[in-house]
Amino acid sequence: MNDSIYLDHAATTRVAEDVAATMMRALGPEFGNPSSRHPLGSSAAASIEEARRAVAGALGTRSEGVLFTSGGTEANNLAVIGFSRALRSGKHGAPSGHILIGPTEHPSIRASAASLVEEGFEVEIMRLTPGDKSGGLDIADAASRLRGDTVLVAQMIVNNEYGTRYDIARLSRAIAARAPQAHLHVDAVQALGKIELDPAGLVDGSVSSSFAVSAHKIHGPKGTGALVLSNACLDAERLPRPIIHGGGQQGDVRPGTENVPGIMGFGTAIGAATRDSAGTTIALVTARKALEAALAEHVPAARVLIPWSDESTSSMAPQVVSVLVPGAPSEVWLHHLEEVGVFASAGSACQAKKQDLSPALLALGLTTEQARRVLRFSFSSSTTTADCIEAARRMASVSGSLARL
Amino acid sequence: MSNLPDTILLRYGELALKGGNRNFFEKILATNIATATAHIAEVKVLRERGRMTATLRTNPERIERVAARIAEVPGLSSLSLCIPCAADADTISAMINERLLEMFEFASPDAPRITFRVETKRADKRFPKSSTELDLYIAERLPESLWDKLQVQLKRPELVIGIDIRAKGAYVYFGRTPGLGGLPVGSQGRAVCLLSGGIDSPVAAYCAIKRGCRVDFISFLSPPYIGEPTRQKLIKLVRKVGRFQPKNRLHIVPFTEIQEAIRDDAPEAYRTILYRRMMQKIASRIAFRNRGKAIITGESIGQVASQTLSNIACIEDASLLPVIRPLIGFDKLETIKIAREIGTFDISNEPEPDCCTVFMPHGPVIHGQIEHCRAAEENLDMKGLIDRALKGIEAIDIDTDA
Repeated sequence: MNDSIYLDHAATTRVAEDVAATMMRALGPEFGNPSSRHPLGSSAAASIEEARRAVAGALGTRSEGVLFTSGGTEANNLAVIGFSRALRSGKHGAPSGHILIGPTEHPSIRASAASLVEEGFEVEIMRLTPGDKSGGLDIADAASRLRGDTVLVAQMIVNNEYGTRYDIARLSRAIAARAPQAHLHVDAVQALGKIELDPAGLVDGSVSSSFAVSAHKIHGPKGTGALVLSNACLDAERLPRPIIHGGGQQGDVRPGTENVPGIMGFGTAIGAATRDSAGTTIALVTARKALEAALAEHVPAARVLIPWSDESTSSMAPQVVSVLVPGAPSEVWLHHLEEVGVFASAGSACQAKKQDLSPALLALGLTTEQARRVLRFSFSSSTTTADCIEAARRMASVSGSLARL
Repeated sequence: MSNLPDTILLRYGELALKGGNRNFFEKILATNIATATAHIAEVKVLRERGRMTATLRTNPERIERVAARIAEVPGLSSLSLCIPCAADADTISAMINERLLEMFEFASPDAPRITFRVETKRADKRFPKSSTELDLYIAERLPESLWDKLQVQLKRPELVIGIDIRAKGAYVYFGRTPGLGGLPVGSQGRAVCLLSGGIDSPVAAYCAIKRGCRVDFISFLSPPYIGEPTRQKLIKLVRKVGRFQPKNRLHIVPFTEIQEAIRDDAPEAYRTILYRRMMQKIASRIAFRNRGKAIITGESIGQVASQTLSNIACIEDASLLPVIRPLIGFDKLETIKIAREIGTFDISNEPEPDCCTVFMPHGPVIHGQIEHCRAAEENLDMKGLIDRALKGIEAIDIDTDA
């Protein structure tokens, strides 16, 4: 079989060697519990603080605002549920407040918000700008939905299915003007290491915000992520209410003995992923353009959902390319592609097993039939132009039979 | 036309008042700014008449982060993010209008008006309009939709729209972010600060740093009575308060033998004062090694038993250098307020013991006498104790941005 080409980095990435080496320290000699009072404990605590500073440094925030979690899903749950409860007005069961979430949010946001309905919260969903081919958020519409009792707005920054980059700055200005009491939560899992994620540069200075990030999307380990609170959030002394309860770790906001190996690995991975953001962007754009060109040449019947253009830098993240493939449903394409050693995904991997269709694809205006024919290719900075061209060639080799289905 | 800021305009605080020495102060400040921001981007600082500009040679998208970091560098009164623009009245006006429309896009119709003024500065006097003429030109061309949102007010407006006309083009900025004030670190020489782990000493260090002193930190640890968690707490404190100066070193002095000797061979009521006299003697020696000219402490009058005026006198008697107490007139709540602002409060509150809690005396003396202290020390092997402590010092260099 041919060498395999992995183009599913939005699902997960391979753990980098230096990350694994860092983690081995905690899996071996540095096995202490960070809460222990002896040197093994203190050194584990110091390692965690080092990782905390690395995460804070990558986002330009203060280290005390970094809450380590079991991943992006928990970070999103903690933000949506924790901040909504912290800022609620009524008592449990009584009308509690208004929550506004993005139209293409990950299930961990949508389901967390939905779980709050029974506590008296009202949940509304924003919409994409009708007719906008790049899938931008309708912020004027969102602004009209903000209210005096809005407690939380949750909007991802980079779409996990087709890479649209949402205008968080403008959304935050709407919040500052219409609902200054609300907290803005940004799911940044797909954005970390790909675009600059500084709350001070992305969010209006008067708006309290938080960002969810995950280690395994940036060559770190699975099972580790963080909820990062902005300086504005810390300055307002605003913390999410804990959703799990325990022995006081991380200020009791997210208790539980820390996942020391995972956290240390995250610290190493995030340093490498964010060191040269400009260089990473260039590498990703180059790979993306190569794939788009090779697809046009080798699989002309396939259509890139949102092709890259010069204006895309501000409206798109380059690392995700969604392609509407001809003929067969994406699942069939995936299995034919894996036969020739190309690994991609259909929609988002978390949902690949579900029968229901991606709301994000439907929000983009695709028919249900089309939404079943979308393949997602995603890169890391290590993806080469040669990988992309070869992947398109192999796609062409299976397309003959599939396009006619 | 690019609409993103690419330059940070930096204004001096007290520095502007310095006459002949200004060049010296400015050089130090420029270096400190470059050092503070080096981990974010490569920043070039240019000195101009009466102010400075900072530009990013790498990672231009990090300009907001760079500005936030510069706002922590002592010596600046304010800073502004500048958007580059062609030096042409209509282009400037169009750019300002575009920005303002963006700022007020979601403002509710019944929101109170924002007061503003336009403030033009012409370094390039060839520009065809005078500063006042351009101010008016801009104000008169504000979009109609903003007329009920903005109101001109020359004195203390909420929003200052700045225009800087230069030979190579113009800069436009909206508002000013306050700087930290104070004087550039290093311009006032070096000092050492006794860091206990409590709330006061980091604030005292901050005050001295803000006034331009480069501060080296000294802590006393008594293993095995006091363990590693206390050491980590001290490092965390230096990491926080140290971000206001370019370099940080923490000297950890082994204090066990000294405390045991005082426990065994000196009057119990004088223990705390004698510990502190030892700290002064050792701190003086460390300061000499590092060209330090003063000892900074977090003492304030009457706060605890060891801080009565007589006890302060007993302690200072042991010092070979001036002892500076920036918090001397502060109430505890005033100190706590600053500790919160600089982020040391929560760390100081971590319940780790410090060396003063070891062998705490029952009934410490409230009004100590210097002669009694000196007499008590005659029973101790002062030279041996101090030399061994100095020999055992662990010096830790702490990078506050790593």
